[in-house]
Amino acid sequence: MADDGTSSALVKRLRDGLRLVSTVAQAFAENTSDYRRLLAAIAYSIADAIPDTCIVLLKSGDTITVVAIDDAQPDAETRFRHMVDRSTPMAEAGISGRVLAGGPLFMPRIDYGALATHMAPSAVDLLKAADTTGMLVVPLASGGELIGVVWVLRHGAQHPPLDELDLEIVKDLANHAALAILNARLFQRLERSEQLRAAEERAVQASSLLDAIIENIPDMVFVKDADRLAFVRLNRAGEQLLGLSRGQLIGKTDFDLFPASQAEFFVAKDREALAATEVVDITEEPIQTPQGTRWLHTKKVPLCDAAGVPRYLLGISHDITERKHAIAELSAAKSIAEDANRELESFSYSVAHDLRTPLRAIDGFSLALAEDYGDRLDPEGRRYLARVREAAQRMAELIDDLLTLSRVTRSELRRDRVDLSAVAHTVLGALQRLEPDRRVETVIAAGLSADADPQLAAILLDNLLGNAWKFTAKTAAARIELGQTTVDGVVAWFVRDNGAGFDMAYRDKLFGVFQRLHPEAEFPGTGIGLATVARITQRHRGRIWADGRPGEGATFYFTLTESHA
Amino acid sequence: MHDRVIVLVEDNANDEELTLRAFRKSNIVNRVVVVRDGAEALDYFFCRGPHANRPAGEVVQVVLLDLKLPKVDGLDVLRALRADERTRLIPIVILTSSAEDQDLLRGYGLGANSYVRKPVDFTQFVEAVRQLGLYWLVINQAAPV
Repeated sequence: MADDGTSSALVKRLRDGLRLVSTVAQAFAENTSDYRRLLAAIAYSIADAIPDTCIVLLKSGDTITVVAIDDAQPDAETRFRHMVDRSTPMAEAGISGRVLAGGPLFMPRIDYGALATHMAPSAVDLLKAADTTGMLVVPLASGGELIGVVWVLRHGAQHPPLDELDLEIVKDLANHAALAILNARLFQRLERSEQLRAAEERAVQASSLLDAIIENIPDMVFVKDADRLAFVRLNRAGEQLLGLSRGQLIGKTDFDLFPASQAEFFVAKDREALAATEVVDITEEPIQTPQGTRWLHTKKVPLCDAAGVPRYLLGISHDITERKHAIAELSAAKSIAEDANRELESFSYSVAHDLRTPLRAIDGFSLALAEDYGDRLDPEGRRYLARVREAAQRMAELIDDLLTLSRVTRSELRRDRVDLSAVAHTVLGALQRLEPDRRVETVIAAGLSADADPQLAAILLDNLLGNAWKFTAKTAAARIELGQTTVDGVVAWFVRDNGAGFDMAYRDKLFGVFQRLHPEAEFPGTGIGLATVARITQRHRGRIWADGRPGEGATFYFTLTESHA
Repeated sequence: MHDRVIVLVEDNANDEELTLRAFRKSNIVNRVVVVRDGAEALDYFFCRGPHANRPAGEVVQVVLLDLKLPKVDGLDVLRALRADERTRLIPIVILTSSAEDQDLLRGYGLGANSYVRKPVDFTQFVEAVRQLGLYWLVINQAAPV
């Protein structure tokens, strides 16, 4: 740098160098958010300004690592590429170590002989292979903090040898780079701490949601550690139930809190759940609380770690005291109802037995009177006696029908398959035998079957077919039919006759007890039969209805299951 | 010589008289011994108390037993008779007003031979008694005494 020609070139280089340093410094500053890109930019900018190869190494603890390489000659870069990310202990860092400790190294013309004393042979071979002719190594330092080194290599003779100006530019760039790197690190740290804080916040939020859930579950929730079975957690419902604050409870075991027998039971169930690593369901357990004994339905759940070893025991207890009391009340009410039913039964029994006995005397002695003293009575007197007997027998029928109605109401419903067709044949056969002279056309659909109480179904058909039989007594070509149909999607059966029929205006009265639509003298009966039939359909959750016209017969429909319509 | 008697256990005077009348109407000529409560029935069968000296030749052909009886219930009488070696084979017909399933079941369960509900219609009652007499006094071969 002596003659004029070179001095003007030098000034130009200086100006270029300064411009470069300022642009590059700005580029460094803009890249602080991306640390990796910043390092690549540093290597690239230096190699671009001072050809040929730039290697950036950063110190981290006791090692120094190659973090970026750039080269003006692409093939030269590949020669050094494999060095990226290579770490070397500081103690073996050779030249880099010396530069960090003692400042820049500047070798415009490499003396390989001298170099070999400072570098590993493999590194020397690498430089030789690249025909490296000059090198300068400067520390990356900012504010007294040494963070790494920058190597600049010159290969072959394509460019002029490295000089003092190059050294100054590289030192300048290195200072800016070091500042940018420190800023980037700072930024990264800030960012990481921000991320940490956000993650922490998220974790806190999640955990406070969990806490809120556990706190607000209206059942007692508790957690015990698996070893001592000491309480580690209790929710608000638990505090209220036990009458203990969590402060009083946490760290204690059941033996500290409850009577020994109860504590033993609780702990045994805890151990059971932990040993089986399975949920244990305790449908009923008493617990001593300040409000007296409460009954709990508790589920105990072992909480296992990743290896499947139970660490905690989770308990969830639902207070069933009220329900238990309600059940007890219900069963008391049921037993009262059963008592009442038994009373009714004994009443019915008395009705059956005691009311019939005097009737039998009335009938029997009336007949004895007629038989033994009939000749002393005139026809009117004998007619009166006959009326007495009729009345006694009618009352006996009434008693029997009332008993049937009461039995239908109180007997237990036992559903089974009932062959309605067969029952109908039996009923009509019996009616025919009682009145062999009657000619009635009976049409019974084959294979009618119902899911019903066999006894009740028989009483039902007995009444309906008996009615049909009775009300066709005065019909010329009497006809009785049993068939099946579907109403509102439910199977319904019907008993149809062409007898006396009834006025639809009175259909609501058909099924009431003691309701009659015909004078007794015309068609005898107690007026209880259809009430009994209606009760039987009710007990099956079915229904009964009728269709008829005076003088044109009647049809009674019934179902024996719930209608969904 | 055996005196084949019918034992009627009946507390109701009307029923007693009507039953006796029904026997007469059915031409049943066997002597009828009437006992009026369950305790007396047991005395009769086990020759105790007022019946301690009953004739040795009296052979009970059939017992007509009401269920609702003073002192000892009809079913208890039945149970006692079936439990004793001396009376366990005597034909016993329950003759009662009740047609409750429970009475029928218990009666048969305790070893009654037959169960007849007294009809209110006396004509039917006579018919029932006639058939009972025909069966238990004529057709049925009693166990050897």
